[in-house]
Amino acid sequence: MYEVLEDFARTNDLREVSTGLKLIIGLSSILLSVSSPGLIAPLLVAVSMSTAILFLAKIPAKVYARLLLIPVTFTLMSITVILFITGGGEVLFEVPGLPLTITTGSVNLAILLLARVFGGMCSLYFIALTTPMTGIFDILRKLRVPAVFIDLAMLTYRFIFILIEEVGEIHRAQEMRLGYGRFRESVQTFGMLSGALFIRTWESGEALVLAMDARCYDGKFDVPDDARPISALSLAAVLIYCFAILSISLSTGGLTLV
Amino acid sequence: MHIMEGFLPDPWWQIWFLVSLPFIIVGLYRINKLVQEKREVLPLLAVAGAFVFVLSSLKLPSFNGSCSHPTGTGLGAVLFGPCITAVLGLIVLIFQAIFLAHGGITTLGANVFSMGIAGPAVAYLIYKAGTRAGANTYATVFVAAALADLATYVVTSIQLALAFPGATGFVGAFTAFAAIFAVTQIPLAIIEGAVIALVFKYIVQLKPEILTRLNLLSESTIQKLREAAA
Repeated sequence: MYEVLEDFARTNDLREVSTGLKLIIGLSSILLSVSSPGLIAPLLVAVSMSTAILFLAKIPAKVYARLLLIPVTFTLMSITVILFITGGGEVLFEVPGLPLTITTGSVNLAILLLARVFGGMCSLYFIALTTPMTGIFDILRKLRVPAVFIDLAMLTYRFIFILIEEVGEIHRAQEMRLGYGRFRESVQTFGMLSGALFIRTWESGEALVLAMDARCYDGKFDVPDDARPISALSLAAVLIYCFAILSISLSTGGLTLV
Repeated sequence: MHIMEGFLPDPWWQIWFLVSLPFIIVGLYRINKLVQEKREVLPLLAVAGAFVFVLSSLKLPSFNGSCSHPTGTGLGAVLFGPCITAVLGLIVLIFQAIFLAHGGITTLGANVFSMGIAGPAVAYLIYKAGTRAGANTYATVFVAAALADLATYVVTSIQLALAFPGATGFVGAFTAFAAIFAVTQIPLAIIEGAVIALVFKYIVQLKPEILTRLNLLSESTIQKLREAAA
């Protein structure tokens, strides 16, 4: 899935838009969803971000739908806990013999959280699907994040793609030799995969050190950035969008479903 | 055990950023010093970060068919110590949020604390204590990695319980979160311990110079381990 997300970030229809602007939209949408006291604002964020992803960036709807299913497991588990442990309001449902109840208060909290997670995830996907990592590195550099952190992140980023290929190859070879037949075997095989992976990565790291030394590496990477200017019009549009969501979030704060 | 984007409410996600920040600063300071001494450290750290990322994006074999991922940070902590692992953890979590939609941006602080700081610290302490006590190296690595995984999941439960104490108060909420996550996390911790111990075994057999260079195992220990395997 990872290579897919980054692939889309490099080929989508919003790739020419300034990285800074896309990050401002994405991050402020996340903040607005998380801090919203009511469920209308996060849902609006989810709708507008999804619209941007599907119609402006032209990400295929099927891919996007599959992505939205990723967070389901964690969300369902945690929401279940929240449904049963929080109280307040009338009791709607009681587990006989156990101190577990679902109340109107807990239902409202669970729905609010679902809306926030939904809004936040859609905004996160907006960043993930439209903004290539290299653009984000440029922004970090402008924000004066320590150079050693950015260099480390860039090298990590590069190695991730090399490693993914290697993992795929090793995994296929193991699968063909029936390495994942029984449970015991699969743990053994998986350990072998991880061990081989670690040693291979380490060796490619050492090879990279040699290659960089041969090219006069002095502990610093200089990468030309290809920043695009933010037009005043688009910045204004983004600000209007943020204020609209903020005022909706403030005015619909007390609204609950149950 | 990533907390999803949007799940932690207002004061809590900021608090966890503040809690994680000092560790990251110390880690960055250490890395900076290491890189100035030995330039070749940077690519090797990057390789370790990429390894953690790839390992954590693979599906572990598991009994119950649930979707479980190893954290892989236990190995990083044993190799480089907890503060440097915290920085690697931060980088990996940013990539996971942006490539895989695991975790998120506002929950980054909380996730860095549970996966990049608490888990690795536990792994590191156990590994140190184990080697000092002269315990079997593989057994130590197994326990360190498994307990690091468990620590991560306990801390995540604490973070959620603090944010959502509910009617039962913190303890009740913690028990509820811990109980529901235990279903997937306890088998996962055991499998991860076994996998990381196997990784360690392969490193000892095939490329022990990594371990001697990081001053983790002495030549004589490696010699002993290799003889025991042969």
